[in-house]
Amino acid sequence: MLLELMGVAALLFGLFFCAVGVLGVIRMPDSLTRLHASGKVATLGLFGLLVGAALLMPSIWLRMLVLGLFVLLTSPVATHAIAASVYRRREIVAELGESGTPAEDSGFTSANVTAVLSRSRIQDIIEAQERALRQPGREAKGRRDN
Amino acid sequence: MKTRACGWQELKASLVMTESPYVQAAIQLILLALISLLIPASYRVIVGPTLPDRLQAVDLITTLLIGIIVMLALVEGTENFVDMAIALAAFAFIGTISIARYISEGRVF
Repeated sequence: MLLELMGVAALLFGLFFCAVGVLGVIRMPDSLTRLHASGKVATLGLFGLLVGAALLMPSIWLRMLVLGLFVLLTSPVATHAIAASVYRRREIVAELGESGTPAEDSGFTSANVTAVLSRSRIQDIIEAQERALRQPGREAKGRRDN
Repeated sequence: MKTRACGWQELKASLVMTESPYVQAAIQLILLALISLLIPASYRVIVGPTLPDRLQAVDLITTLLIGIIVMLALVEGTENFVDMAIALAAFAFIGTISIARYISEGRVF
């Protein structure tokens, strides 16, 4: 009775994370955020389903353990490969454009994001240096803040 | 598992795959919910704006299929379906890795 309750609870846990992952894959605005959502399905959702199945049907717990370990090992590797392909494809699109021609204003690309990030970082460093020049005693503290 | 003198029958009865109608109904409903999750997951395969999105959605569908096979093994009471799930996980990993390398590198090997 207790095993059945725990098994059904683990199955519901896994089903919840599968549903949340599929919802995230539909609703998230960007490729990398969608990858973040679908990684939850592979680890939490499927692992909850496997634990629930092993609790409800104890004769297959060894195979469930093998399958769970395999999924835990391989799914981050697959997700990382997809993320690397997304990043590489964005670099290509930012360099050449979607149709192979140089892009004029290609919106949210990795090159633009890097440019924006580095620009704000440079501004932070300049402001920190100016603050340090205005207050010579606080130089070390300003560096630690940034 | 060690056999004990007292309460072994009860322990064995609690460990054997349940025949309780509530648990059976719960398992079948969870299986139905997982199968119905395939439809919104295939939305991203069809609509997905770029190639890595479709690949990622196919990977998600494969993960859901592994879960569905495990739930099917629970519903049917058959242990051999789990081997199918292990084989599916292995082949899906190889396929995802090779297609992702094809997208990023332009070649597989």
